[in-house]
Amino acid sequence: MEKLVLILFLSVNIVAFSQYDSLNKLEEIVLYGNFSPDLNTGYSVEIITDSIIKNEINSMGNFLQNHTNLYFKQNGNGMVSSISLRGTSASHTGIFWNGIAINSSLNGQTDFNTLPINSFEGIEIRKGGGSVLFGSGAIGGAVNMRDKVIFKPDKNVLIQLGGGSYNTFKSNVLGLISGNKYYAKVSFNTIFSDNDYQFPDNDLNNENGEFKNYGINSAFGWRFNDKNQIAIYTSYINNDRNTSRTLTATSNAKLKNKNGRFLLNWNNIGNQYASTLKLAYLNENYEYFFDKDLQNSSLNKSKSFITQYNFNYFLNNKISLNSGIDYTHSLGQGSNISNISQNDVEAFVLLHHKAFLNFVYNISVRKGFSSDYNIPFIYALDLSYRINNSFKIKANYSTNYRLPTFNDLYWEPGGNPNLKSEENKSAEFGIDYQKNKTKFELTSYWMKNKNLIQWIPISSDFWQPENIQKTSGYGLEFSIQHKRMIGDHKFQLQAQYAYSVSKDDLINKQLIYVPFHKANSNFNYNFKKLNLNYNLQFTGKVYTTTSNSQNLDNYWLSNIGISYKFLKNDLKIGLRLNNLLDKNYQSVAYRPMPGRNFEFNINYKID
Amino acid sequence: MNLLKITAAFLTFLLFFVSCSEDDQPELPKGDYEKGYFISNEGPFNNGSGTITHVGEDDVVSQNIYKTVNDEDLGNIVQFMALSGDNAYFVVNNSHKIVVANRYTMKKITTIEGENINNPRYFVANNDRGYVSNWGDPLNPNDDFISIIDLNSNEIISTISVGEGPEDMLIENNDLYVNLQGGWSQNNKVEVIDLQSNIVSNTLIVGDVPNSLVTDGRGNIWVLCGGKPSWTGFESGGKLAKITTSGHMVELIDFDVTEHPEHLTINSEELYYNLNGKVYEMIAQSSSLPESPIDGIDGFFYAMKANNGELFATDPIDFQSEGSLKVFNLSSGALIETIQTGILPGTIIFQ
Repeated sequence: MEKLVLILFLSVNIVAFSQYDSLNKLEEIVLYGNFSPDLNTGYSVEIITDSIIKNEINSMGNFLQNHTNLYFKQNGNGMVSSISLRGTSASHTGIFWNGIAINSSLNGQTDFNTLPINSFEGIEIRKGGGSVLFGSGAIGGAVNMRDKVIFKPDKNVLIQLGGGSYNTFKSNVLGLISGNKYYAKVSFNTIFSDNDYQFPDNDLNNENGEFKNYGINSAFGWRFNDKNQIAIYTSYINNDRNTSRTLTATSNAKLKNKNGRFLLNWNNIGNQYASTLKLAYLNENYEYFFDKDLQNSSLNKSKSFITQYNFNYFLNNKISLNSGIDYTHSLGQGSNISNISQNDVEAFVLLHHKAFLNFVYNISVRKGFSSDYNIPFIYALDLSYRINNSFKIKANYSTNYRLPTFNDLYWEPGGNPNLKSEENKSAEFGIDYQKNKTKFELTSYWMKNKNLIQWIPISSDFWQPENIQKTSGYGLEFSIQHKRMIGDHKFQLQAQYAYSVSKDDLINKQLIYVPFHKANSNFNYNFKKLNLNYNLQFTGKVYTTTSNSQNLDNYWLSNIGISYKFLKNDLKIGLRLNNLLDKNYQSVAYRPMPGRNFEFNINYKID
Repeated sequence: MNLLKITAAFLTFLLFFVSCSEDDQPELPKGDYEKGYFISNEGPFNNGSGTITHVGEDDVVSQNIYKTVNDEDLGNIVQFMALSGDNAYFVVNNSHKIVVANRYTMKKITTIEGENINNPRYFVANNDRGYVSNWGDPLNPNDDFISIIDLNSNEIISTISVGEGPEDMLIENNDLYVNLQGGWSQNNKVEVIDLQSNIVSNTLIVGDVPNSLVTDGRGNIWVLCGGKPSWTGFESGGKLAKITTSGHMVELIDFDVTEHPEHLTINSEELYYNLNGKVYEMIAQSSSLPESPIDGIDGFFYAMKANNGELFATDPIDFQSEGSLKVFNLSSGALIETIQTGILPGTIIFQ
């Protein structure tokens, strides 16, 4: 009972730093891998816990849009949603699934509307240049989605049903059974929607916007003894989405993508070391129908076989050496790429040193080799210094890269096999404050990018990617959280703000679809079985032309939700109103988003 | 107060009197855009609207004039613009429609759309008939057609099936010449449609990828063929085809296999085209290609039109922001002026 109330209370995202203190360092390494706060001491790591996630039936994109200061560019409601972290492009954030990089081998990005949130138990958002630990593309930062395998007796079935405007139906069924030696979890989720909302202030409907998404996810674990545990994770996601019309053009197109993911993870813990072996297989099918009523489509596929070994050795309480080696064998084929295969080997070493009680630093280097391109040598230094019980200073400097993708290298026509890696230099400086029930974090950053790959017209109908763009960026991030409890009344306020300047150095203009300002806040009030939540977000104007001559207006969005628990708290019924003020807004030009709409959800937990 | 009223009444009377007696006054302007020329801008490819730029006398430039006048977007990818009679016709490719407006005021008259406008590309008019080339489904080589519009009622009266990828067109001696450029693929024909019977009377093989055509007014149609680009794996050089309007005889002049010219345009007796970032001039009677380009005119242009001894050529810059129009003196090659346009300036057309 108390636990459930606590879970409810935590139903606004929480930066759960405090959890680490109680965790043994080895266990922490095993749990968080390269996202472990110790290995990222000079960076901002935000951890979103399952108590928040499990209340939602939503796509990852919508969830993070509401709960973080990350910016998502959504190509219409439910359509392709791509992330922009610190003003970087969609392929400049490393996206991970249980520590395995899952950005598409084809286009280097992850579509956040294809990921169902409630099949995961944790999300880690680690901002700032991170290629040394996270490899290609971790320039703006890295985001990990995690299943949590825990060996303790538990057994439950969670049934979540939801629905709402535009014939939207959502469901998630999750079954879990675990003991001291084993763990098993299977979940099945669906989101279907006609998505045919009327465009605000317009006669048009969001025609051809229908989508059907489903996914099956599982995690199985065995603990052989205190030192060895194995987990097997699988995920299959199937998205079938028509691509909706715009204000000026109808569409009969369709996008189908299927992603299969498998991971075998073996952790071995000794007295002074932790080692993790990961064997993963990723499979991606991306099929585009110009006209969904015709058979013709363009289908491109990729497969990756990944072997990753991490070894962390603790010399003493103060010094640890952490290292990793990855071998990736990738294959691609399809309508626009001939049979190709690629081999990459990359390795890193990180020295962690707690020099004084209040001063910790990490030094790390990475080098890789590829069959297709040169992978640069990169390095990073990060540190944290605790001034007193409340204040802590963090700083880092890193060099980073993004490797060309299959589409960049081999797309027919145009792909350029002579592309080099994109290169980045990043630095940041931040202050953390925590006292009693208040916590805030202020971070400033700078970055320079060169050799960015850009598709440029060679003639009016022939484009080719070249390493020509140079950009630079700087910005400021601020987050604050405050909790208060008065009797049974629990209040929590959390707000975040990001200021991002990201410029093309050649023309000195802000990059398109990078808002200068993004802010969001959540206010949560809980009283016994009742919970109220109010979410307010602001997205600043974005430019839609490279000359910055045209822009989309900024917008405020607010959502409100209420829920109540019944049947000894096993049943929870919730109602939400999205876009409360019926704001007419666009995330991408000429693609209006839905006006005010409602949804309900029922969560039923059987122990 | 009283005085004001009397004055107002007097002025009204005067105005009435003046306006009734202007028979021998010069004609009133027909609209803001009666003089000068237009540039139609395709607009951003994925989401957005094309726009119309007007350049008036004294080079007064007005952007986005269609939206200014009508308070609505023209549509997604304004592929082409043509003038006929009192009207302007906008071919809006990805919105699958033809928008008709008054050419002097830009006031919208109507929209022509439906199943007989499908992926429209170009428009040409002859008296009271308009002809639109349509790709249909770009992946289907067998559903391409020309729609015929009654320009009085603005209704489609019939369609004519043609080969794959009909593009630019021209009417001469009551024959409609249709470049079969190939759409997303590559074709190599010009189809001739007899406008008396509306049937394809002749299919002429020219070079690969015919991309532009002009008439020299002396009995010849000149068709510039770009050839297949190297990325197809079957690269072929460009060709310049001369078709006689009587007899439809074809003569071909070859470019090198790696040369892919485009944007054929004519200024009295001289043909001009764009090749490898240069502009070449060729006398329309010649049977061989010019050796060297015009000094001073450089650019991979997106559209090109010669007019009155000047060359109007557009630069789309990065395709994601405003392009520009450059005006060159054709005899000296000097750049006369540069005018900002909308996004992706694709057609230049003179009043």
